[in-house]
Amino acid sequence: MAESEEEVDVLVQRVVKDITNAFKRNPNIDEIGVIPCPEARYNRSPIVLVENKLGVESWCVKFLLPYVHNKLLLYRQRKHWLDREALADITCTLLLLNPDFTTAWNVRKELLQCGALNPEKDLYLGKLALTKFPKSPETWIHRRWVLQQILRQVSAVSRSRKHPQGDAEQADADRSQRLSDQLARTLHQEMKVCSDAACRYPSNYNAWSHRIWVLQHMAEGNVKVFHDELSSMRLWVSMHVSDHSGFHYRQFLLKELITELSQTPASTTSSPQHRGSAAPSSSPPHHGHDRANGELSGAEAAGEEERRLGSTAALQLFHQEVELCSDLIRSFPGHETLWSHRRHVYYLWHHWRREHQHRCGSNRGSEPDCLNNGDPGLPKACAQSPAGEGVNGQRHAGEAMEVDGASPPDPRDSKRLKRGVQPPSAPALPSEHGFVSGILDGCCHPEQRRFALAYKKWLDTVIDQQP
Amino acid sequence: MGTQVKDVIVKPDAPSTLLLDKHADYIAAYGSKKDDYEYTLSEYLRMSGIYWGLTVMDLMGQLPRMNRQEIIDFIKACQHECGGVSASIGHDPHLLYTLSAVQILCLYDNVDALDVDKVVEYIKGLQQEDGSFAGDKWGEIDTRFSFCAVATLALLGKMDSINVDKAVEFVLSCMNFDGGFGCRPGSESHAGQIYCCSGFLSLTGQLHQVNSDLLGWWLCERQLPSGGLNGRPEKLPDVCYSWWVLASLKIIGRIHWIDKAKLRSFILACQDEETGGFADRPGDMVDPFHTLFGVAGLSLLGDEQIKPVNPVLCMPEDVLQRIDLQPDLLS
Repeated sequence: MAESEEEVDVLVQRVVKDITNAFKRNPNIDEIGVIPCPEARYNRSPIVLVENKLGVESWCVKFLLPYVHNKLLLYRQRKHWLDREALADITCTLLLLNPDFTTAWNVRKELLQCGALNPEKDLYLGKLALTKFPKSPETWIHRRWVLQQILRQVSAVSRSRKHPQGDAEQADADRSQRLSDQLARTLHQEMKVCSDAACRYPSNYNAWSHRIWVLQHMAEGNVKVFHDELSSMRLWVSMHVSDHSGFHYRQFLLKELITELSQTPASTTSSPQHRGSAAPSSSPPHHGHDRANGELSGAEAAGEEERRLGSTAALQLFHQEVELCSDLIRSFPGHETLWSHRRHVYYLWHHWRREHQHRCGSNRGSEPDCLNNGDPGLPKACAQSPAGEGVNGQRHAGEAMEVDGASPPDPRDSKRLKRGVQPPSAPALPSEHGFVSGILDGCCHPEQRRFALAYKKWLDTVIDQQP
Repeated sequence: MGTQVKDVIVKPDAPSTLLLDKHADYIAAYGSKKDDYEYTLSEYLRMSGIYWGLTVMDLMGQLPRMNRQEIIDFIKACQHECGGVSASIGHDPHLLYTLSAVQILCLYDNVDALDVDKVVEYIKGLQQEDGSFAGDKWGEIDTRFSFCAVATLALLGKMDSINVDKAVEFVLSCMNFDGGFGCRPGSESHAGQIYCCSGFLSLTGQLHQVNSDLLGWWLCERQLPSGGLNGRPEKLPDVCYSWWVLASLKIIGRIHWIDKAKLRSFILACQDEETGGFADRPGDMVDPFHTLFGVAGLSLLGDEQIKPVNPVLCMPEDVLQRIDLQPDLLS
């Protein structure tokens, strides 16, 4: 066993080198971990690389960590010189063992700024650290800083392209395309890193708030990315019904999409990030907004039509979300997360509806067509459904048309039918009360009961008291 | 198919009386046994660690047991040219540790050990155009840092050196539909962030901007059958979240909305009868962080063996009286 100071020195330097070499030998390492192993095995490195997994034998960590820790602090105090390569190696080892060591990430930021490290490498190191420490706040913070560097690079290139000439134009265009592709890959990779960390630690606040940050900074206004995220999250939340942070992310997506759909076409412009963040190829369920940017800008009638399509799409989103939530609440009784999600969705709907009515009302007195009827956000199908079934999708989708037909004829209905757009319904107060009664009826699950009653109370006090 | 509520069971033989002497011994011994590995691992937050230890000692009336001069010298050595303070020597400065350093010096009535003007300049320089605060020169934004900034300035009596209106605007932009707050606009409500934001609004005289019934409702829903509080739905109860939720309730005048007796027995059950100190949950390993928040929580619940604690700054009330700082509380 290495015990004397010199022996520890030699040992640790060898181990740091072994780690560096492991990364050189296998650039696809995808997970790190400590292998429980109380004693050193003679003449064998404590660094073990099996397939794409890098392990450190536990006996050496107590030598390794204090050594690299002190080395870095001595460097920081200018008491010990380290060249850039040594700094990169030492901070790598240190951060894989203790990723909340802020100053070590800062040293890497400086190395990045002077070009001694590249951003992708650092995103990769962070990704590895998160496989063992999925919450590590400092690792997420460093990621955001690195991403911001990448974004800055891209926007610098976009700016410089404004006055291109001749051959330079082509070269610039190529470079811009490369950066744009890189940005799309980075966005995709970030989503993956967040998903992995979310799977490793439930209700991972840092992972999910990072994911929101990434969308806000790298996909602003890109409806397609938001739609794709909403679709892909559907299965995830269904399999993680107690993950409040995952559901909050869904609420965020819903809110952003509703906001986008409610904007007038003229007010939505595509941002540079929009162009940059190319996304996977599947088609979003609603095209209204996309077409608005392309073909219909300007013309007033077309604008009206777009607004109406946007409203229909928004209603559809609300409808689908409530349907999903109802199914999950019934299938997985007693989860606070699901009931909290319901509150949020209802709240979003409640406000969207109010704003919408306001906007429609002030719109030259035109018909209140933002909602499919004039009653305050009360699609008739819901109101007439039996208790507990009001927001149940399967039942509802079939009935809606018929119920709609029973109301005074609306010229828009025929248009809607021609387009094949289902008149969607959304949550409404009576249907929500109906849903709660349905759950309470014969419910023998005490938690489910408690949450259902709390939801009812929330509807009665919070929603009812709002103007 | 019953889903178990995520909670713990407080066993009948769990501690039910407050073991103050044990806790004081635990904290007094903690700093002296600088066990290499553990101590190294947590050095990146050392300054906050010292604040936790000293504050809980002061709340228990045991501050004189700590080495005042050594700590003051250490803090001086951690102030950087830019004015900010780092967690330890050789680490980089950050708002988190700048606040901890100022809090410690207030306990010792010795704020002038730091170059105060430089601290103020440092904080001022971290405010962004939108009113938010970066935690350090690298620019991470978080409502926690807004709290650190105003708490430090309030303790130094220099609140007017920043744009308070803008700072308030940013924090309010992080308010959610449930009345809570997250780390940035659009982020999920979280008890720790709620504590920071309600504390921030108290220090800036803006508590009327909080919907206290709505927020109080959300906070009360954090109480679980064990009596402990969690920080978000379907998370386990934890002594530190018990403090953040409880302090927030106190700030917005809704502390009577929870079951105090049950919370008290949960916190007491998190003590380690042998080693002293509090853990996050009954039976887990103790640490100074949970020991402070356990003791501070009991103080807010009215335990008279402990000094009254201020819910906004998590410091003894008598210390704040000395510097004439009384943050607003709603009634």
